[in-house]
Amino acid sequence: MNRRRAALAAFVLIVLALVPAFAGTYQTQLLTYGLTLAIAALGFNLLLGYTGLLSFGHSAYFGAGAYAVALMMRYWGIASMELFILGGIVFSAALAALFGVVCVRHTRIFFAILTLALSQVLWTLAYKFFWITGGTDGLRVPFSKLTLLGGLVDFPGADAFARFISFYYYYVLVVFCVCVALMWLIVHSPFGKTLQAIRDNETRARFLGVRIWRYRWLAFLVSGIFTGLAGILWVPLNGLTTPDILYWPQSGKIVFFAVLGGFRNFSGPIVGAVIFNYLEVYAIAATEYWQLMLGAILIILVTFLPAGIVGSAARLGERFKRKERASA
Amino acid sequence: MDKERGQERRSFLKQFGATLGAAGLGAAGLPHSANAAVKPKGNIPDKALKVGHITFLTGPAELLGGPGQRGHVLAQEEINAQGGLLGKRKIETIFADEAAGTDANVKELRRMKLSEGINLFTGVISSGNTPALGPVAEELKVLTLFNDGCTDFLFDKAVPNPKYTFRVTNIQSADGVTAAIGAATHWPKARRIASLQPDYSYGRNVFEHFVLAMGKLLPGTEVVSESWPKLGTTDFTSHITKILSAKPDVLVAGVWGGDYVAFYKQALRYGLFDKMKVATTLAFGGTPHAIGKDHPEGVLAGVHANYHFLYPSAERWPINKSFVERYYKRWKEYPSFESDGAYTALYLYKQAVEKANQLVGGWPDDDAIIAMLEGAGIDAPAGYLYVRADNHQGYKDAVTGLSKNLPGYDFPVWDAASIISIPIRSITAPPNWPKPGQGHNESTAAADWIKKTWPTAKAA
Amino acid sequence: MEIVALQVLNSLFYAAVLFLIAAGLSLIFGVMGIVNMAHGSFYALGAYITAWSVAAAAGAFAPAALFIFLPLGAIAVALIGLAIEPTLIRPFYRRPEEYQLLVTFGLLLVLDDVIRLVWGGTPLTASRLVDSFGLVQVGGLPYPVYNLLMIGVGIAAAAALWAFVYRTKFGVLLRATAQDRRMAAALGIDVGRIYVLAFGLGCFMAGLAGAIVVPSQAAVLGMGVEVLVIAFVVVVIGGLGSLEGALVGALIVSALRTITIQFWEEFELAALYLIAAIVLLIRPTGLFGRKA
Repeated sequence: MNRRRAALAAFVLIVLALVPAFAGTYQTQLLTYGLTLAIAALGFNLLLGYTGLLSFGHSAYFGAGAYAVALMMRYWGIASMELFILGGIVFSAALAALFGVVCVRHTRIFFAILTLALSQVLWTLAYKFFWITGGTDGLRVPFSKLTLLGGLVDFPGADAFARFISFYYYYVLVVFCVCVALMWLIVHSPFGKTLQAIRDNETRARFLGVRIWRYRWLAFLVSGIFTGLAGILWVPLNGLTTPDILYWPQSGKIVFFAVLGGFRNFSGPIVGAVIFNYLEVYAIAATEYWQLMLGAILIILVTFLPAGIVGSAARLGERFKRKERASA
Repeated sequence: MDKERGQERRSFLKQFGATLGAAGLGAAGLPHSANAAVKPKGNIPDKALKVGHITFLTGPAELLGGPGQRGHVLAQEEINAQGGLLGKRKIETIFADEAAGTDANVKELRRMKLSEGINLFTGVISSGNTPALGPVAEELKVLTLFNDGCTDFLFDKAVPNPKYTFRVTNIQSADGVTAAIGAATHWPKARRIASLQPDYSYGRNVFEHFVLAMGKLLPGTEVVSESWPKLGTTDFTSHITKILSAKPDVLVAGVWGGDYVAFYKQALRYGLFDKMKVATTLAFGGTPHAIGKDHPEGVLAGVHANYHFLYPSAERWPINKSFVERYYKRWKEYPSFESDGAYTALYLYKQAVEKANQLVGGWPDDDAIIAMLEGAGIDAPAGYLYVRADNHQGYKDAVTGLSKNLPGYDFPVWDAASIISIPIRSITAPPNWPKPGQGHNESTAAADWIKKTWPTAKAA
Repeated sequence: MEIVALQVLNSLFYAAVLFLIAAGLSLIFGVMGIVNMAHGSFYALGAYITAWSVAAAAGAFAPAALFIFLPLGAIAVALIGLAIEPTLIRPFYRRPEEYQLLVTFGLLLVLDDVIRLVWGGTPLTASRLVDSFGLVQVGGLPYPVYNLLMIGVGIAAAAALWAFVYRTKFGVLLRATAQDRRMAAALGIDVGRIYVLAFGLGCFMAGLAGAIVVPSQAAVLGMGVEVLVIAFVVVVIGGLGSLEGALVGALIVSALRTITIQFWEEFELAALYLIAAIVLLIRPTGLFGRKA
């Protein structure tokens, strides 16, 4: 990491840490949503950006994390967020490991369709097995029943929502930072470099003796775990989990995050997820034709900003730098 | 046989204190108190009152949400034309689309309260959404009058001790029970039941309560066929053929909106309506003109939250006549039960504000308004509506009737002689009846109450 | 017995509709390499345009003559497709799949709202068309002649499409382009023209499916998204890009649906996705698909 990048990251972190001090409960909770979604995008992009595999079924892992929390609370009476994270990760990892075995044998559109079909199977299960999952009513995960930090922090009584948000924001921020750091290490490790080599030229990588299948499967697994973690952190914010989050449009949203921010960039999907979160909320608030608005924005973005917001900004910055150098 | 049938019919109706035919509403023609304006007490700010309203503005459920939105807007325009609430505060409404999904609705309600600072939240149609939004409304302390989203689970389980949340419409379990009473009254010989329900909690609720009530009313009934099409299904031919193959006496159908339109069009051409009686819970629930003149007569046409614009009749309940006229003038269409629900919700709030103002003066705080909402009664277009204090649930008489084509309308309406009006207390659990457990396999308090207290009619 | 006959007919009618949609989806993918997420919206457009024009013209035409509005509805959708391809889709041929998926996903969102903007939320119907053809008795149970005719239209469309792709010069160009775009271009084929026509043809078939369906059912909001998912299952089973696959896939899916509805209602949805997943596991390219 060069110095400039480190300085930028530190600056962003400081700004993020100061948000609750300046923004009210509403903006803070909105950003909390954004950060959880960013973790999902981070995981998704290990596959798309670094391995070259487009998953159209990442709703499965997001939903697996959320449902794991809800089921643990419902049937085992668990309240500890740390236990939820542990259990949810185990559950989404198991699912990603299983689905990964099936999916990574294929690439391109076949990979996309296979991931889509499997996520739809999961959606049907959540929808149909209502005596376990609550069907379309979903399962409730009220934050008032939650404890954080091994039971040290809980949120009973009046005005609990504001207290919950002001604490939970930092909780999510810490997990988010850990995730970003971990993913940074992963993509810059030999493992990450190998993934990129496979993405750029599968044949060459194979000739070099890389066991492509195994690398892709591992990437799939890690990707699923990150997205599952996002689902785990998201569910107390939403207060319940319904089959909607397993349905294919949710997968579409995750793809949207990455393309919006730019998936050839490490930070692109993170920015994309946060911006999409605002975009969606304000589009729905602005007009009953929010679908038209989102659709039009999507079309304009992919047509005119193929590198995404971060990618285009980086390009612009470089051009600017070159000019600066030329004039110097 | 006809005589025997007549006796059975009378005995059911007597059991529930229900009435048949247009003579429903007992205390007809109460003078409308709304016009008797009382001077507001104290200083009233003239700041606009902000209302949030989430309803289906897109997708197949727009057929329900659209009329709801129009009912809300009509009430708002009327109140504002009189100078606003307490003569001072004009109403402004922020609308948002319920079709964006449950999680987006949760976010939007928070935005409405925390960012826009709404004073009142209304709307919500899906019975999947009220149990999600009820707890959010409670935690945000935003006074909420749901106009639908009628699942029993809202106050049975999701918000068992409501403070800020109220609901104007009847509860869901009343749908199945009303359809059962209607079916048992009109077709007492029916024994073999087929069911066609949308595959989600509403459909399961209708099925459970219909079968339960039919078992009590007409002993020896059996379910011979079940179909559970997914919401949004348009091809029903395989379901229809399956139903035909079971040779039932009566079909109970909870499919609604565009699904129901597609269903009846296909069922008609497959001769389904000639081979069995059909009892629905929501056939006349959308915008009335969505159903065509080709819709068969003699179908028990449910209206879910118990309002169809021709009932109560103009002579007996002038409030309804005038509502329908104003609604038609404004929107060039007839109102649905959602229109009545949204319209009434806003007037219910207005009435509570006025009463609280008389007691405390100035603009009353939410606690005072809530106190006036609990146990409140109002003369709504649909009839008299009262809000139970124990569970914040609005109750009005349940109604259903047989479809008929009358001249003067481009769509079928109710046959006045066939309308059944049932006092709601006869078909729903009384106050303080134990709530079911939290498990989602636990049935409703109403089902439990029916099981334990309804006598089983003597076998015919 | 008459129930079996009726269910077979139901299944065939559903298969005819599914085939038209899935074949268009498959054709567009086969030739252009694009998975068109907005394909269901073209189906919905066909239904709405047909129902609207039938209602508008009802007074001026004899009931059976309204039949003419079915192909007209499909042609209208094809024209919309012909306008959309060069403006929206063409810039994306050289881009990776994710962009193509996203731009057509965006189109889906836009078209869904445009339909509501134009026609509102009340379902549109055209059932007078069904009634004008009357009923036949199938073992004592009535069955609409219209549905029989439409099964015929489905078969005719399949045959015409097959003849078109395998027996005409344009079909040769189409297949050549599908196999190797660059080679086709090098041989002097106007690839751009082939693409726009293939897209238009795919839209025509989706529109025709909507036009056929609407007299017997209704045009409702959300019908496009609903059918898109099922059409995907069809092409996944049959093989993306294969017309035979679309036919076989449509028959399998509709038969499976009818059987589960009749006997194991609770597995209707799960069965569809499970079959799709199983086919993918055994033959990832589908029953008739070719290797990418």
